[in-house]
Amino acid sequence: MRYALLVQGAPYSSQASHSALRFAAALLARGHNLECVFFYHDGVYNAARLAAPPQDEPHLMDAWCALNTEYGTRLQVCIAAALRRGLLDEREAARHGKSGYSVQSPFELTGLGQLIDAGLGCDRLVTFSP
Amino acid sequence: MQYPTVPPAGDVLVILRHSPHGSSWLREGLDAALVAAAFGQAVSLLFQSEGVLALVKGQGPGPLGQKGTSATLDMLAMYDIESLFLDAVALARLGFSSDELQLTARPVDQAATAELIAGHRLVLTF
Amino acid sequence: MILHILNRSPGSSLVYREALAGMGPEDRLLLIEDGVQGALTSQARHFESLGGRLFALREDLASRGLEGRCDASVQVVDVDGFVVLTEEADKTVSWF
Repeated sequence: MRYALLVQGAPYSSQASHSALRFAAALLARGHNLECVFFYHDGVYNAARLAAPPQDEPHLMDAWCALNTEYGTRLQVCIAAALRRGLLDEREAARHGKSGYSVQSPFELTGLGQLIDAGLGCDRLVTFSP
Repeated sequence: MQYPTVPPAGDVLVILRHSPHGSSWLREGLDAALVAAAFGQAVSLLFQSEGVLALVKGQGPGPLGQKGTSATLDMLAMYDIESLFLDAVALARLGFSSDELQLTARPVDQAATAELIAGHRLVLTF
Repeated sequence: MILHILNRSPGSSLVYREALAGMGPEDRLLLIEDGVQGALTSQARHFESLGGRLFALREDLASRGLEGRCDASVQVVDVDGFVVLTEEADKTVSWF
C-alpha cells in the first residue's frame, strides 16, 4: 500500500516525531511504500537543519533524511507554516533578505495542496500530532 | 433541535476542535480546508468541542493585531465550503444557541458525527 | 472500519469523548503515547462501550512501565500490529 504521514509535533517537544518514525520503519518493513511525510503546524521544526541533539538521543533529523535516501520518501514542509516560524530554505531566505537559511534538501518547502494530494492520493494517511 | 438524518458525504472533512486566538490550530485547520476546496475537493467542516467558539459573533483582532479567524469564516462561501456542522452538545455546554452564531451550521449529535466521519474519504483533525 | 488513534489520557483531556462519539459500530480505537494510560485497569471503564475494539501500543506501555497493568478488555499490539490495524481500516482519524 501507499502511505503518507502527517507530522504536527515539534521534535523533542512531543512524542509525535518519534511515533511517526517508528511507524514509518514498521510499515516499510512490511513492504509498503511511504510516499511522503508532510510537516505542518509545529511539525515544521523537524526540518530545522541546525538541530544539534545530544549524542545519546535519537537524531530525528538524520532519521527523516534516511527515509528519503533509502526509500525515496518525500519530506514536504508547509511553506506558510514554516516561514512564520523562521524555517526558510536558501531561496526563501534570499527572497526575504535573510543572511542564513534553516531548511535544506531533502526537505522541500511546499504548499498545503501537497497534503491534500497525499491524503486523497495515497491509500492511507496517518497523522501524528503533539 | 433538528438533526440531519443523512449527513452529506464528501472528499475532505476538517474537524476543528480548538477555539480562536489561543493557538494556531483553528487557523491552520481552516487553511487546510480552503486549500482543499481550492483544489476542487468537496469539503465539509465540523466545529467540535471548543471549536464551536470559532462561530461566535463579535470576535476581533488580538491586542498585537493578531488576525483571528473570523474573517476567514466569511470566505468559506467564496470557496464553496457550505457544508458546515457543529457539535450541538458542546455549543449548549458553553451556553450558546445556534442563532447567536456568525454562520449557519447544522447541529449534529453523536450518531451523525460518526456518519459524517465515515462519509468522507479524508478526515483531518485540528 | 475506521481506525481512530488517540494520544491523550482520559485524565488530562476530554478528547476521548469526541473520539468515542465519532466512532461507528465497527470502528476500532488505538491508544498510543500518553493515550495508553487509558488502558490501565483504573481507566479502561471510559472505553467500556467499545467491547473488543480497544487496542493499546505495547512499546508506549512498556516505556512507561505500564505493560502488565492493562485491563483485560484491551488488546495490546506492537508497532507491527499498529501497521496491520491501518491496513485493515479504510482510513485513520487521529485525536489529540
